[in-house]
Amino acid sequence: MKLKNITKYLLVAILALQLVSCDNKETLESPFNATPTERLNAKQKELNDLLESSEFGWKAVYFTDNTQLGGYTHVFKFKAGKVDMASDFDDDTASYPSEYSIELGSTVSLVFTTKNRIHLLSDSNTYPIESLRGKGYKGDFQFLYYGQENGQIIFRTNRSFEELRFVKATASDWTDLAKSRLMIPNVIGASSRPLFRLLETNDGSKISQFDFSFTAATRFATANSIETGSTLSNNMGIAYTPTGITVSPAVVVGTQKLSDFTYDPATGSFNATGTAGVTASIKYSNKPLVITEDYKILLNPNQQLVYAYIYNLTNTAPTNSALFTSLLKETEAALTPGIIIQRIQPWFNNPDGTNYIEYRFAYASAPTTIIARYYHYFTFTSNAATSTVALTHVKWKTSTSATAANVTAPAFLKNLDDQFMNPQGLYFIRQYGLGYTAYTFTSTSTPFRMTAYSFQ
Amino acid sequence: MKILNKYKKLMVLSSIVLLTACASEDSLKESQLDLSTPSKTTLDNWIDTNYLIPYNINVQYKWDQNTVDNNRFLYPPIQTKVQPVLEIIQKIWLNSYKAVAGPDFVKIIAPREFVLVGGVNLNTTGTITLGLAEGGKRITFFETDKVDKTNRANIKRFVHTIQHEYIHILNQTKPFDEKSMAKITPSGYSSAWYNTTDAAALEQGFLTAYAKSNINEDFAETAATILINSKAEYAAILAGITTATAVTSIKAKEAIVVKYYKDAYGIDLYALRDEAEKNTTAVINGN
Repeated sequence: MKLKNITKYLLVAILALQLVSCDNKETLESPFNATPTERLNAKQKELNDLLESSEFGWKAVYFTDNTQLGGYTHVFKFKAGKVDMASDFDDDTASYPSEYSIELGSTVSLVFTTKNRIHLLSDSNTYPIESLRGKGYKGDFQFLYYGQENGQIIFRTNRSFEELRFVKATASDWTDLAKSRLMIPNVIGASSRPLFRLLETNDGSKISQFDFSFTAATRFATANSIETGSTLSNNMGIAYTPTGITVSPAVVVGTQKLSDFTYDPATGSFNATGTAGVTASIKYSNKPLVITEDYKILLNPNQQLVYAYIYNLTNTAPTNSALFTSLLKETEAALTPGIIIQRIQPWFNNPDGTNYIEYRFAYASAPTTIIARYYHYFTFTSNAATSTVALTHVKWKTSTSATAANVTAPAFLKNLDDQFMNPQGLYFIRQYGLGYTAYTFTSTSTPFRMTAYSFQ
Repeated sequence: MKILNKYKKLMVLSSIVLLTACASEDSLKESQLDLSTPSKTTLDNWIDTNYLIPYNINVQYKWDQNTVDNNRFLYPPIQTKVQPVLEIIQKIWLNSYKAVAGPDFVKIIAPREFVLVGGVNLNTTGTITLGLAEGGKRITFFETDKVDKTNRANIKRFVHTIQHEYIHILNQTKPFDEKSMAKITPSGYSSAWYNTTDAAALEQGFLTAYAKSNINEDFAETAATILINSKAEYAAILAGITTATAVTSIKAKEAIVVKYYKDAYGIDLYALRDEAEKNTTAVINGN
């Protein structure tokens, strides 16, 4: 009996459900006042109208992956399914036509459907570094529409969801692409500039320094803190502008984010200024970022020390500066063809109390057979305040024999030798990672740095 | 019994309600989505006339993320390159089959879609994918931007894709003699085929390195190599091989391919090759 009752009630319940089931769906109030389809259609039209609305089109600085690549500036002008586009990817900054479409997928997206400049970033066969083989510049050309903010269109890329903002372009943005390309050598840096480069930030009270190194192929720079024990880095992708660079991620100084740097042609530095005394600057310095007390090794008068630039060994050291290499080449060019400088060998604290730089010469075809020698005798002083040593000229000889006569200073060695005799002094710093014990002699006032093998 | 009757009545009542429920729906209106055909360009019309209408082959040259692997860094073709590329396929592939196998052959057994991709499909292993055939229905061509009508080697490389992929489609319709094929060079197949150069593969009895990947690819590569080369060029390839057993192996594979074309489709492979050769020369000469 009990079971029957249950069945009865169930039947009545089902019947009741059926009677009230057919509600009119049309009267359901959507919280958005439109069906999803209507809203997607509206979004599609909104995006297209927006893209076509700007008189000079839109500009986008596209950082495809700001952990290893820089930014590529593109300008677009949209009109009825056609787009004119220019980019600063290479020296061809002219505008080219192609097609675009607004597509409906998981959301509304902008797709550049036929080939144009932006596709240069997405060519598996053209990649800036070996680790990006098959990935090109990791670029995308389908952008998901995420709305607007302050007149900018916010997109996210289809593959990696990087945010990409389109800002209204001006007439000059189209011509600025070529001007931005002219900024590239300034970012790469010139060998005539001081040897060291750093990013220096000032949060109003504290100055921090980062060792700055830029790779043009990827438009990416690394900047690691020089403070002992600090793992802080300010690596950044770089985009070129007519007046400087824009970086991503922004350099964080205190609580402020600085991303727009202006080039100063006088010093070669790039400067960004925030508020309340906050600044960031990428600049050159003649002073090594890390100064050691290594020069003190040279100060024991009873310890003879010998170091040398050696042909076929230290000539390939990356720590030789461009100025050193060019002075070396210039000096060798003045010699009989085929003869090279085989060694530049400073001797300190010889038992007889002398010091000299020994210049050895040989044929490149038989570098171990020394055909001539010059000795430049010097005395030296140290400066504890600057951690430097300064060499002072005494005499020139062609033999170390006590009876050998002095000779006149060889003119062809002057430019090279003057760098060592710099009255403002030299930094003497241990170098690591070369596979042999090495020190560098670095000028305090010119971009001169020689790497020397240590015989000790 | 009484209760059962009551149930019956209730059941009848409820089924009537069910059947008549919600009868007054509004009639369907037009779709809110934009289903209108986009305006066609001269290029679109050319494709319709030469591919879509006669062969029911759709050509997609505009980017659609759903037809291309999203993990690859590829891009759509330069628009002006699309028609020249399609003309090459039409002349060397479509017209050759049409002349030798009859006008309806490709209409019946054909891929239904061509996807054109402008860029090189470089794999992280360093190999390059020239084409893809998916389910026998869609063929994807890569590197269409690089096709140069005046360069014979370049055209051969490009036409290789369609010849190769179409052989897969033929195989999917009628299988070839896999047992005999597998017996010829059984130890040569390897998934790491790309570690072998084409020259080394020849000495092992394979016309290309890719042929070493498996017997299906071996069959397609053997047939495609015969079709893209002239009789003299093919003879020169064989003449360049120093290993005698390799030549024997390749000739045995060639025999299987020729027999397959004859038995399965009644096509004389050598006549097809000569026709393709004639058409290739015509393309290079700009006819």
